[in-house]
Amino acid sequence: MRAPASLRGRLALWLGLALVALWLATALLTAGLMRRELDALFDSALQESAERLLPLAVNDVLGRGPADENDEDDPRILGVIAPHDEFLTYVLRDPAGRVLLQSHAVDPAGFPPWDGPGFRSTATLRLYNIAALRDTVRLTVAEPLAHRARIAREALWMLLLPLLVVVPLAFAAIWLALRAGLAPLQRWRERLAARGARDLSPVSAGDLPSELAPIAATLDDVLCRLSAAFEAERSFAANAAHELRTPLAGAIAQAQRLQAETADPAARMRAAAMEAALKRLLRVSERLMQLARAEGARLRRDSAADLCPVVRILVEEQGRDAGDERIRLRLPEAAVLSDLDPDALAIILRNLIDNALRHGDPAKPVDVTLTSEGILRVSNDGLPIPPETLARLATRFTRAGSSAEGSGLGLAIVATIAERIGSRLHLTSPRPGATSGLTAEMMLPCASDSEVEKRDNRPSRHSVSSSAS
Amino acid sequence: MRILLIEDDTVLGAAVRDQITADGHSADWVHRLDAASEHLRTIPYDLVLLDLMLPDGRGIPYLRALRGRGNATPVIILTALDQVSDRIEGLNAGADDYLIKPFDLAELTARIGSVARRYAGNPNPLIQHGDLEIDLAARSVHRAGRLVPLTAREWALFEALLGHPGQLFSKAQLEDKLYAFGAEVESNTIEVHVSRLRKKLGTSVIETERGLGYRLGRG
Repeated sequence: MRAPASLRGRLALWLGLALVALWLATALLTAGLMRRELDALFDSALQESAERLLPLAVNDVLGRGPADENDEDDPRILGVIAPHDEFLTYVLRDPAGRVLLQSHAVDPAGFPPWDGPGFRSTATLRLYNIAALRDTVRLTVAEPLAHRARIAREALWMLLLPLLVVVPLAFAAIWLALRAGLAPLQRWRERLAARGARDLSPVSAGDLPSELAPIAATLDDVLCRLSAAFEAERSFAANAAHELRTPLAGAIAQAQRLQAETADPAARMRAAAMEAALKRLLRVSERLMQLARAEGARLRRDSAADLCPVVRILVEEQGRDAGDERIRLRLPEAAVLSDLDPDALAIILRNLIDNALRHGDPAKPVDVTLTSEGILRVSNDGLPIPPETLARLATRFTRAGSSAEGSGLGLAIVATIAERIGSRLHLTSPRPGATSGLTAEMMLPCASDSEVEKRDNRPSRHSVSSSAS
Repeated sequence: MRILLIEDDTVLGAAVRDQITADGHSADWVHRLDAASEHLRTIPYDLVLLDLMLPDGRGIPYLRALRGRGNATPVIILTALDQVSDRIEGLNAGADDYLIKPFDLAELTARIGSVARRYAGNPNPLIQHGDLEIDLAARSVHRAGRLVPLTAREWALFEALLGHPGQLFSKAQLEDKLYAFGAEVESNTIEVHVSRLRKKLGTSVIETERGLGYRLGRG
């Protein structure tokens, strides 16, 4: 038999088994003791009966006169008053072993020969011998052992029968007591289970029993340190980016000031060239930082937040640079809750939009769509891309054409992030339902619908972009 | 306008300060948050440019505390490109706008103007004042259809008066808006700028309250 996995099951099983075993042992011991007491009691009754019977029997025999030789085979049997089962039987014998008197339903052959007064036992009988008249009459009273055995058996049953009722009750009581006793543990387990897999905040130990409280405290401590380590890693990445970006920003700004302040056209041109080179350096380093982040940093957060504001702010930023409302945004009405890091989403979206703006038809808009199911889609018009190029696009340092500027990392970064969050970047060209353009699409990790319903209790969510699929 | 720049990088900070000054604003530049608190306590700024990562703390909690104290000075935060969460957090903490580092200085000028206009209660950059057509975004003035060139300081002075029609500004207040803390200001600088503005835009454009200061005139 395999032991149950749960602590409660194990405790219930072992406590129950121990209870039954102890009960059985107690019942058997009690029965044994009782058997001895019963034997003593019955023996005493047997002896008493024999002593009471002896004078009567002797009187009876003497009243008959001296024993007659012819009488040998004709022992006296006392008349039967009413037919009954005899518990006690007896024979009265003379020293020669002849039966002088016997109870009415007895086989004298079953009585062993006289061997002195006192208690004797045979296989089936308990005997008491007593003699009188200077050992001339000898009385043996017998009680069947079966009788005693039956009484002992009945007593044992009386002890065991309640077990059938009490043991299930005891099991139920153990089960309930364990459930009540382990309830804090259960609640703690539920609190643990209810949190997101990446939630590293301490779990409240609540009213955990003192045996388990240290475990909870240790767990909280580990969570705390883990969270601090993640935070340190994150802020290191942010600091490194800051350290790199700030001098570049300073150099670009200085180059711009130089252009504004100098009156010398040659110097202005040099400053402009410097600015352009710095900006190219900046773009490449941004991409490399993004790639480092895509490959190393934490991409999921502890808690879910709405992605819509992030998408909106990013599209607005990209729109500032692209100008004249080239980017069309479609968002669902309701919040799209996700634990995706907003900065990771920013990397994804910025690269996809950047790619669409650079390589798409400049006269046509770029469509950015986020559906309520968490599907992010960026599509642009333009010449269809051959399938073999399409397959190569998401690998590092590949560029669709050579004219548009770009470090060729963007889609590779997006593909890396997609892989790490358990999604995939799908590139389709021409766009579904069209003869031209490119659609990049990926599924963002999204809180399940039931979770969303629980959180904001909205009856139904409509996608504004129902046509776009 | 009097602008407080909180930025610890000397190269970037110097370029930003020069740009602001060239636009005719007065800029005080501090490198740390504690110095910023000192300045904000004593000087009524029209705008704060706040970097988010400073040697003695992070900008967002500082901004939140500033707003918590009831300080309503417009704030533009300077954030890094990859920290979209900072931008959202910053706007939630009470920032009026943000600039992504590295930014074009022209973008900086435009953002400062747009935030200032929003605070003056008129986000529309086009103002008609008498026979003057003023475009606050383009920083240009047309008088009777003809473009009138203004220097940065003249523009800044005119913009300060335009922002609060009817309000009387003392000479010291106007000096504050045009010159940074500790700058050498000639005693008659404001009078010189006012007289040049009157010459270019018409004598009634600025009214003088003798001994008290100046206010926007009828145009």
